[in-house]
Amino acid sequence: MESESPVETKKSKSKTPKKAKESILKQKSPAEFFAENKNIAGFDNPGKCLYTTVREFVENALDSAESISELPMIEITIEEIVKSKFNSMIGLVDRERIDEALYDDYETAKAREKRLAKEAKAQEIQAKNAALGKKVKEHAVSKAAKSRGEASFYRVTCKDNGRGMPHDDIPNMFGRVLSGTKYGLKQTRGKFGLGAKMALIWSKMSTGLPIDISSSMRGQNYISFCRLDIDIHRNVPHIHLHEKRDNKDKWHGAEIQVVIEGNWTTYRSKILHYMRQMAVITPYSQFLFKFVSDTPDKNVTIKFARRTDVMPPVPVETKHHPSSVDILLIKRLIAETSKQNLLQFLQHEFVNIGKPLADRLIGEMGPEFSPKMAVKSLTDQQIVRIHQLFRQAKFDDPSGDCLSPAGEYNLRLGIIKELHPDMVATYSGSAQVFEGHPFIVEAGVSVGGKDVKQGLNIFRFANRIPLLFEQGGDVVTRTALKRISWNNYKINQTQDKIGVFVSIVSTKIPFKGTGKEYIGDDISEIATAVKSAIQQCCIQLKSKIVKKMQAREQQERKRNLSKYIPDATNAVYDVLKEMAKSNSSKKKRYEEGDADILRKVSDHLITKETLTEKLTQHVEKVDYEMALEYATQTGVREEPREDIYLQSLDGKGNFSDFHSPIFVFRLFL
Amino acid sequence: MADKKKRRRPDSDSDSASQPFKNLLKSDDQILQILESFTSSFSSSSTSKPLTLADLALSTTCREVSDLSLSSVQSAIESLVLQLTHQILSGQGFSFTIPSRSSSNQLYVPELDRIVLKDKSTVRPFSHISSVRKTTITAKILSLVHQLCLKNIHVTKRDLFYTDVKLFQDQIQSDAVLDDVSCMLGCTRSSLNVIAAEKGVVVGRLIFSDNGDMIDCTKMGMGGKAIPPNIDRVGDMQSDALFILLVEKDAAYIRLAEDRFYNRFPCIIVTAKGQPDVATRLFLRKMKMELKLPVLALVDSDPYGLKILSVYGCGSKNMSYDSANLTTPDIKWLGIRPSDLDKYKIPEQCRLPMTEQDIKTGKDLLEEDFVKKNPGWVEELNLMVKTKQKAEIQALSSFGFQYLSEVYLPLKLQQQDWL
Repeated sequence: MESESPVETKKSKSKTPKKAKESILKQKSPAEFFAENKNIAGFDNPGKCLYTTVREFVENALDSAESISELPMIEITIEEIVKSKFNSMIGLVDRERIDEALYDDYETAKAREKRLAKEAKAQEIQAKNAALGKKVKEHAVSKAAKSRGEASFYRVTCKDNGRGMPHDDIPNMFGRVLSGTKYGLKQTRGKFGLGAKMALIWSKMSTGLPIDISSSMRGQNYISFCRLDIDIHRNVPHIHLHEKRDNKDKWHGAEIQVVIEGNWTTYRSKILHYMRQMAVITPYSQFLFKFVSDTPDKNVTIKFARRTDVMPPVPVETKHHPSSVDILLIKRLIAETSKQNLLQFLQHEFVNIGKPLADRLIGEMGPEFSPKMAVKSLTDQQIVRIHQLFRQAKFDDPSGDCLSPAGEYNLRLGIIKELHPDMVATYSGSAQVFEGHPFIVEAGVSVGGKDVKQGLNIFRFANRIPLLFEQGGDVVTRTALKRISWNNYKINQTQDKIGVFVSIVSTKIPFKGTGKEYIGDDISEIATAVKSAIQQCCIQLKSKIVKKMQAREQQERKRNLSKYIPDATNAVYDVLKEMAKSNSSKKKRYEEGDADILRKVSDHLITKETLTEKLTQHVEKVDYEMALEYATQTGVREEPREDIYLQSLDGKGNFSDFHSPIFVFRLFL
Repeated sequence: MADKKKRRRPDSDSDSASQPFKNLLKSDDQILQILESFTSSFSSSSTSKPLTLADLALSTTCREVSDLSLSSVQSAIESLVLQLTHQILSGQGFSFTIPSRSSSNQLYVPELDRIVLKDKSTVRPFSHISSVRKTTITAKILSLVHQLCLKNIHVTKRDLFYTDVKLFQDQIQSDAVLDDVSCMLGCTRSSLNVIAAEKGVVVGRLIFSDNGDMIDCTKMGMGGKAIPPNIDRVGDMQSDALFILLVEKDAAYIRLAEDRFYNRFPCIIVTAKGQPDVATRLFLRKMKMELKLPVLALVDSDPYGLKILSVYGCGSKNMSYDSANLTTPDIKWLGIRPSDLDKYKIPEQCRLPMTEQDIKTGKDLLEEDFVKKNPGWVEELNLMVKTKQKAEIQALSSFGFQYLSEVYLPLKLQQQDWL
């Protein structure tokens, strides 16, 4: 998150030389910067804005609930607002068009003629098809093309049961960009820590309507209600209403409501995918997703039910690893540290530097360094020297203790819950390191399931949030497509319904591109970890698949054997017939037993049918014997069943969880 | 034939700069003298009768097939089919016992200098899901070959495949079973009256009869004479050549044929255009045995070149059951050898880097007994794997298209530079 401020300064610097003459040095507020470059935060177009708004709200809600170890329960509602309703909301009178030709979507006489001709033709074809009994495809009634002015508006509401916010902090938490609680080195969701603020900026840009926030914290007997918007130029909140209301239900959490321009039609599937994948990675949370509009058949209500009450631990904040810091960061740490001398600074502000190592490092820095020197008095050159040494020296790898992976147990439950696959395997790798940041790769591979298309279905997660865009260049996609030989695991890459789930958590996910939507394929540490995690899953699946294939072979053996009986008997009989001919014409002499057979062949006592019959009997006998053998070997065994999840009535029990990759043992005290 | 030597000596002073080592060349007469003395010493030394498995007392542990007459093939099939019929009628289904042709069942016999098949067999029962297909195909092929015997005709492997495309699915399967059948019946594939489409060609100082017609291979135009698929109809070989030149690639063959290399240095030039087929291998063996000429091989400097050379020399694993008839002993590796790359200063841009697969093949070859027995080959192969460079025969074209026929080969012959 520390990268934000440099970006901004660079921007203002680069602007100056362009307007070389008589330019006034302008200051840009962070809010202004993000308003102008909203694509950085995923607000590219109205459709994406709607998607990103939903996702920012959902992720904030999850973070909030997880931070107080409360099982998340989140309701998201998207309400479509038609133009007339929107106008009345903002008190604008709906006006009829008077000068039709003024508008962009005005249809000229010529265009109208063309359109009517086209429609007539389409109808003709349809009638023809109907007459021929072909399946009539619902002909999309060509809607009048949406003009630029015809924006759609949506009210997005997100309610959670999280921590809530202190009454007085609410305006600053929403009305000031680049202020937040999530800065620091730890595994976090979210992309820039902009959260709901970007949604607010976008609502201000597209509708001008303020944001409504209700919030209450645990044990608070009132609900804070706040309606505010943001003063983009000054980057300060502009409060419309800020009051305390009754909290009859003892509710805690937050409810945020914002009205923005969006596009449901084009981003419907993305938003639903996002919700589904979120449900996969967080099976301990419950989502209620609703889309409400005036046309009832477009409405969507999906409930993603909770499947477990085991949550991954809250990620803890960690100190920086010496090999991951840059000069700027060292300076900031020096400015912020409470430690007096260099030795203490090294020892306490970084991981994996103990006292002996700190001493050795200081000795290596040069004669002008000493353990007791005041850390705040370090010169720029000296800081560069420290940085150089950090780059070159060997440190132990950071441990993955600060990370909070989804856990194999949860990943597995999530996959089962949302995809209902025939088979699933999961694997959790050990922590590894890239550029001083620890990361953990977890993977799941499923075969079969409902609503899964044939071939590879890839689900990517970074720090426990789904990644939906820019799939092509992502390390997971490329690994699954190119570096896994599915055939080796008896999985058919094109025919089977394969689900590949890879979740990577790290204190710093090395995203590529501005959108932070994918992880590049050029980091060999991550690529290797992803590959081996997927392979581990495949190995687990292989034995299951082989067993299944054996079972299928059992069922189909008789059919497969019988299929070849005609060909085999034909071949044998053809030769016998020829031999019988030469036997009867005395061309050749055969031994007595053989001659006997050949005579029977010529007398039609042994025919093709005789051979077929005998061979069929034999096949049946063999099939019976082998089926018996198979049954005695494997035993009569039913597929293990997945237990259903029953939510415990008394959630406040005093217990501790013991985690293992495949189960969780809960001890009630 | 010997008088028709077309001497096309180019002007030796004009292009010696662009064709290095040309000045080292002695006159053709001198080279011919060297060759003649070599050939005469060669033919006198190779008069001894070749060893057989029986000589080594290996005939019990190793399997070998022989040429069988059509009628004996027919009776072999008939007795097998009667056996099957008995089995079926007694309600036991049926099965074949087929000699295994897997690589674990192969043995390189240094005394014979070829690969032979050991005696391991596999049972192929009809009533097993994994073998039912192959068993059916085997029965079908047997019945087809039986027909061929009755009618006394030859068909190609392709013909055989097309008799029941639905069952065979692709030609690889019917071809493999055909080898199984000849192995099972103990006869050569040619005895089954099934031939492969002709692939090899021969040109040069050779006269032979093909199905009764006399063929003069100096008068076959540029393309040469296609090697007939039925070796049993080839006979009466005569030649005044000093050696047989075995060429891996068609391109090099065309170069030599067009330049009428065989007139400058009397020789017979043969190619199978890549991996050799059975007909070419049989033909080469026949030439070598009847004419008693040394065989010099010109192959690419890569692992596959050496592999092809080894197939001519020691046989392929796939057809090791018939290696006695298919292999030609004592083939000399003339070029292009890895050491030639530097010796003949082949420019860098004409050499190719070896791929991972190439290097692996090269290392695997080093483990093979038929390579190990020849220290010179091991050295060359080691050099190839070490430098990780390969070159095709065509790399010599960087000194001019005719460098191969005008400088490289004569020089090699003059220096007797073969392994």
